[in-house]
Formats: sequence, C-alpha cells, structure tokens
Amino acid sequence: MTTAGSILQGGLPGYILVAMLLLLIGLATVLCRRSVLVQFMGVELMLNAANVALVAFARFRGGDVQGTVFYLFIIAVAACEAAVGLALVVGLYRHRQSTDTDRADALKQ
Amino acid sequence: MQTVAWLIPVLPLLGAAFLGLLGRRLAKGAVTAVALTAVAGSLVLAGLAFWAVLGAPGRRLEFTYLDWMAAGTLRVPFGLVFDPLSATMAMVVAGIGALIHLYSVGYMEEEPGYARYFCYLNLFVFFMLTLVLGSSLPVLFVGWEGVGLCSYLLIGYSYDTEPAAAAGLKAFLYNRMGDLGMTMGMLALFVAFGTFTIGPILARAGQLAPETGFGILTFATLMMFAGATGKSAQIPLYLWLPDAMAGPTPVSALIHAATMVTAGIYLICRLAPLYRLAPIALTTVAWVGAATALFAALIGLFQRDIKKVLAYSTVSQLGYMFLGLGSAGFAAGFFHLFTHAWFKALLFLGAGSVIRGLHHQQDLFQMGGLKAKMPVTFWTMVVATLCIMGFPGTAGFFSKDEILYLAFQKSPFLYAAGLLGAACTAFYMWRLMALAFWGEPRDPHAFEHARESPATMTVPLVCLALGALLAGLPGLPRIWGGHFAIEGWLEPALAFGQVRAGILPAEPGGAALAWGLMAVATAVALGSGYLGWRAYRRGPGPELAFAARRPGLYRAVAGKFYVDEAVEKVILAPVRWIGNLLWKGFDVILIDGLGVNFPGALTRAGGDLAILVQTGRVRNYALAMAAGAVFLLWIFLR
Amino acid sequence: MFLTFALITLAGAVALVFQRNLVVAGLCLVLSFAGVAGLFLLLGNPVAAALQVIVYSGAIVVLLLFVIMLLNEHREEPALRPRPLQRWLSVLVTVAMGAGAVRLVFHSALLRGLDRGGPPVPMALDRLGVALFRDHLVAFEAAGLLLLAAMVGAVSLVKRDL
Repeated sequence: MTTAGSILQGGLPGYILVAMLLLLIGLATVLCRRSVLVQFMGVELMLNAANVALVAFARFRGGDVQGTVFYLFIIAVAACEAAVGLALVVGLYRHRQSTDTDRADALKQ
Repeated sequence: MQTVAWLIPVLPLLGAAFLGLLGRRLAKGAVTAVALTAVAGSLVLAGLAFWAVLGAPGRRLEFTYLDWMAAGTLRVPFGLVFDPLSATMAMVVAGIGALIHLYSVGYMEEEPGYARYFCYLNLFVFFMLTLVLGSSLPVLFVGWEGVGLCSYLLIGYSYDTEPAAAAGLKAFLYNRMGDLGMTMGMLALFVAFGTFTIGPILARAGQLAPETGFGILTFATLMMFAGATGKSAQIPLYLWLPDAMAGPTPVSALIHAATMVTAGIYLICRLAPLYRLAPIALTTVAWVGAATALFAALIGLFQRDIKKVLAYSTVSQLGYMFLGLGSAGFAAGFFHLFTHAWFKALLFLGAGSVIRGLHHQQDLFQMGGLKAKMPVTFWTMVVATLCIMGFPGTAGFFSKDEILYLAFQKSPFLYAAGLLGAACTAFYMWRLMALAFWGEPRDPHAFEHARESPATMTVPLVCLALGALLAGLPGLPRIWGGHFAIEGWLEPALAFGQVRAGILPAEPGGAALAWGLMAVATAVALGSGYLGWRAYRRGPGPELAFAARRPGLYRAVAGKFYVDEAVEKVILAPVRWIGNLLWKGFDVILIDGLGVNFPGALTRAGGDLAILVQTGRVRNYALAMAAGAVFLLWIFLR
Repeated sequence: MFLTFALITLAGAVALVFQRNLVVAGLCLVLSFAGVAGLFLLLGNPVAAALQVIVYSGAIVVLLLFVIMLLNEHREEPALRPRPLQRWLSVLVTVAMGAGAVRLVFHSALLRGLDRGGPPVPMALDRLGVALFRDHLVAFEAAGLLLLAAMVGAVSLVKRDL
C-alpha cells in the first residue's frame, strides 16, 4: 500500500508523522511563548513525541521489550527534570516576581 | 717591533676604557695619571717606531695582526703600516696629544665630568692613531668614524647647554655627509683594484698611466676628497667647525686644529700615487682648497669671539694644505700640516689661557692690555702669530711659501687667491693680538682678576712655541741652502709603488721665480700684519667706525656671508617641512589611522555587531539551535 | 481509531500553543497526553499507556498545575516589547522542519526498511519486569539514584534560606 494509505491505517509512517508533528508543535511552543511554564509544557510535548516514536518502532519490529524499557527511563528522567525545573521556576519567580523569560536577560551583553 | 707596535693605538684605548668604566669613582689625580700615562706610553712607542722606520728596508714596516674580514676574494686584515708618512703623523698626534692632555689638567680643573673628558680624549687619540697607522682602508675608516664620534662627544662635553649639544650634533652630521663620499671612494677603489689594503692598491696603481677624462680612479679620488671635505672642513662642509668652538678649548686645539681636521689631508697624502693618476681630481682639490682658504680668511676678519677667529683661520689654513696637495705638492701640503699643527695648537691653547685668565671671557672687544699681565701666554702667542702670517724664518713661512710657489706653477689665479688669503690672515691675526694684548683693558673688572695660567698650562705653551720655531727646519728650501728634506723623507710613502718614470713632478720653476714670489708674499704679509696691529692696538674703534660707514658690507662679512642661514632656508627648512608632512600626514593619518586604528575599530565594530546575538533570552538561543538543527538535517538528509 | 487518537493528540498540542490561560494550557496538555496513551494502546502496549496516564498526566502535569497555582499567575504577562522577528523566524524554522519531516515520512527508504509489520504483540508486565531487573539492572538502579538526586535538589532549591 502507499504511504498515505499506510498513514491513515495506523502503519509505522503514521505514528512517525504524528511523533514529528508533535515535536514541531512542542518546539514552536518553546520558541513562541514567553511564559516559562508554557515553555516547560512544550518540552514535555517534545519528550512525548520521542516516546511515541520509540514505542511505535518497538511494536513494528516484533514487539521488542527494549523499547518499553527505554520509555520507562525516559519517564524517569522527565520526572526528575520536571521536579528540578519547576523548583527553579519557583526560585526565578521569587527573585523577579515574574515568569517571563524575556525579562530574564541579565546575561545579555 | 711587531710585538709592541699594536700598543701604540691600544694604550689610549685601554686608558679610555678604564676611565670610562671606573673614572667617576676615582680621585682626580688618579684619572690624570691614567690618562697621561696612556698617551705618554703611546708617544714613547711611537718614537721607537719612528726609529725603526729609519732603519727599515724601503723605510716601510707593515704588521698584520689578525684577519678582520675574509669572504671569498675579500680579505681585510687588521694591520698597521709604518712608513715616513704614518710615523711622522703618529708622532704629531701622540706628541701634541700628550701636550694637550697635560694642558687640560690645568684647564679642566674646575669642570665637572673630569674623568669623562679624559676618557673621551684618550679615546680620540686611539681612533686618530688607528686612522693614521691603518694598513687597509676599512681600518682607516674605523679611525675616521671614531674621531668623528669623539669630536661629537667632546664638542658636546657640556651636553646640558644648548649651544654645545647642537654644535656636537652639527659636527657629527656634517662629518657623516662626508663619510658617504669616503665610503663610495673606498668601494670604487675596491672595484678598481680588488682589495682594500693600501699597500697592494698603491702597488697596482703604479702600473697604470694617468687618466685622461673621468675614469674610475678620478671618481674614487673625488669621492675620497668629498669625505675629506667633511672631515677637514672645506667648502661646502665647513660649517660645523666654527660652531665646534662651543667645546672646551683644549679640544679645539687638539681636534680642530692639529689632528682630526688634518685627517683629510693625511688621507690624500696616503693615496698620493692615486691622485697623481687623476689630474681632474687634483685640480678640483686645488681649487676647492684655494677658495676655502680665501673665503674663510675673509670671514675671519671681523669675528669678535677669539675662538671663532681661530676656527676660521683653521679652515683657511686647511684650505692652504689642500691647495698644496692639489698643486702636486704632496710633501708641501703635509709640511704645512706639520707646521700648522704646532702653531695652531699653540694659538688655541694660548687663547684658552686668555679665556681662563679672564674668567671665560671670549669676546675680543672686551679684552685688552693683557701683555703685562700674562707674559708667557703673550710671548708664545706672538711666536705663533709670526708663524702663521709667514714671518721669514718661522716654520709657517717655509711651508706656506712652498705651497704658494707650487700653486703659481699650476695657475696664477690660485696663487692670487692664496696671496689674498695670506694678507687677510696676517691682518686678522694681528687684529686678534692687538685687541687682546694691547691697549687699555675694556673690562676692568675681569682685568683685575686676570693672572697668568698655571704651569701645567704654560709648559705646553712653551713646548709648542719651540716646536713651532724648529718645525721649519725639515722643510728648509733649496734656495735657502737646505734641500727641502721633508720631501725626500716622505718620498717612500708618497711615491710608493711608482715605477713609471715621469710621474713624479720634476724640479719646477727656477730660483729667480722662487725668490720673487717669496719676496712678494713676505711683503704682503708684513704689510697687512702691521696695518692690522696699528688699527687695533688702541681698541676696536676703527672697526666700529667702519661698521657704521658700511653697515651692509660689515654685517655680511661678520655674519659669515649668511651661509648658515642660507643652508637653513634652502636645505634644512624644506627637509624639516617634509619630515613634518610625513609625520603628521603620513605617519599619523595613514599608518596610525589606517593601519593601526582602523583594523582595531573594524574589529570592535564587528564585535559590536556580533554581540547583538547575545540577547540573554533563552527563546532566542533555542531558536538559533533549532535553526542550526534544520540546517544540519538538511545537509545530512538530502 | 488511529486517526482519532492522532488528531486528539495534535489538537491538544496545537491548542496549547495558542492558549493564554496557563491552567487551560495545562488541561490541553493533559488532553494531549491522553491521546498519546490511546496511541500506545493501539500499539499493543497497555503498560506504556498506563504509565503514561499515571506518571505524565497524573504526576507531572499535577506538579505543574501546583506550581501554577502557587505562583498564582494564570495569564501570560504582556510582552515588554513585541518581537516579530523571533516569531516569524520560529514559524519559518518550524515549517521548514515540518516540510522535511513530511518528505522523510513519505520518501525515506530507510523508514520503509525498518518496518517489519505483522500483528502487534501485546506487552506483558512480567516481560517488562524481567527485562528491567535482569538485563538493565544497572540502568534501573541509576535511574533510582537520579530520582533521589532530583528530589533532594528540588527540595533544596526551593528553600527560602539554606
């Protein structure tokens, strides 16, 4: 079948396309929004895109368990990152009374 | 002899080195001892060398000590040559040098920098002896440059006073201009003969015929003469000598009367066989010499500073020496150098005595009546004046006469110039004597304190006076019963390598001509000398009256014919202007602005531009990363 | 089914980009995660789907919402200066990447080669457990350490005075 058909039917190219689009949307979020919390959400979207791609490949290559294992680790890392990152956001807010990343430009020349 | 000959120049060098390094910490007596011993040692050894030359085969000894330069066919040795010419000159340098060292002890007694003075003086003697005794042209040139350096150092002895410092620089620069000619001449001789060593050059020259027209020998000898012009203060490079009087008087006596300025004449005598082969060069030498002799004598007529009179007199007398050389009278020119050294040194030292006695008064118009107060100085200076004016029987008489005689043979115009110069010489010398020693003292205060100088100064004066009287003997001419011995003595040196007959000048003229010219010259000299004395023996009144009657003429002559001013306007000011232009225009704008500052500004601008990327905002950085990722993916996934 | 879940996921994501209210944005994120969980189910991986819901939307998003509540800023602040350049370039970059992605999916031979097709093999928890504790034990323990460190770090970063 053609690639387009495969996409519509839930074949590998479909999942990959979804993953990529999700990644791009996450990237756009990071690039276009100023609130650090929204940027964080974008990062989570990007991580999920990777997860989708990972699990899709695992399924379409004979149900490999390693894909899921890796997915698990990604979740663990994402959790850590969320914890520490949000702690930093809180700290940033305490200092500047703002979560606008455009205002946090003290390192500019 | 070989083992000790090298000490002749080296002893004063050691003295200079010692005094230069340690002199400041030594007591004055120690400094004196070292300096005098060095020069005296040199003199003794020079005497021994003179004795050795008398007995040497062909009257010539050449000692080579080591190879200085050896490259391909070029071999320049460090060597000394002793022949009648160099041995005599060495005696003059060492002898008069020693006397002046002794004189300086008294003269420089109260000056600061006593050790520095003697260090330079010793150094000068070293360089001068190197010049005189060098067996090859580069060695001679080392001495040549070195005496120029020492002249600069000694003229600028009081380096913190503007006139002395400026004069020292002027002397050095004019010398250097002449040195260019010297270098060209040396190189031309190398091209012609393939060697720098004097002996072989003259030997090979002996095989050649005189040049007609402008050949390489003429070029070389003219260039050498140009160098001599700088060193020996002839037109056009004489301008430094009068200014050099800003140095201490013993320096003027030694360097600017007896030795350094005679280096030019010595050089030409050394290369006499070459000059005999280049008639055009010889003629040039004669005419330049005559012109200088007359021109300088004219300027000397109205100078007020006693040392300036003597300075112009020196320039004039040097002109006479060149006149003699140029008339193919090499022995005569050298003879005049010999006699002049005695009486000019004596005149300068006497002037120094007067200056010091009057507590540094140098203006003749402020002197007067010193005849009684400073007898030794007076009488010795009388002897010297008689010599320089050519009073019959004195040394100067014989030497000057010989020159005028030969000049007449070459051209009556040369003779006329020389005669006129002699008249002026007698006039200004007796003007000097009258203003200084006769009449009423015009500065009573200074006159009160005037005393005769100490023995360290008067003894050299007397020695020089005796020398001046006796120095004429070697040149006693044939018509007086002598046989112009000096010519025979110098012949081995002056005619070295000559094998072709007919090159040597035949016995010129005739006895009648000789007597006639002698009589005319004597009459002229005696007459103008008497006129000078009579005019001034009561003070400068007549001159002031003349100045009032013809102010323009007086100002021109007393103002040295405005030559210095002309040089300033025509040469120096444009050069300075160009320098200024190059500095402000080229250096500042182009090199500093465009070459240095501009790239800096450009870099800074580039940096300022690049820094705009550093916004400090994470979003922007993320965008940049994403853009880069797109680019890479595009490259890899095409 | 695939299309449905895919659209849910992407719709949630797109809504997130344009949402001004932070809390609503968080809820859009949850929606997106739910879509992803559905996709996992379709891929025959219920374990992954469960984990997705539990950890991602159940923990991480909750944490996020807590922080939003804590800071009490529900709207994005007005910008100090509008920066159109950033926005346009971002769009450009994103579109470029998108075009590249589409081209990759449609024309990449490598992608086609990787596809082995076949029916989905459902993931069993015991299989996962065995793999985790037998084959990847070191990584597992390291992940545990990482979580510990992150916890300690987060707590200490938020302290008012250390």
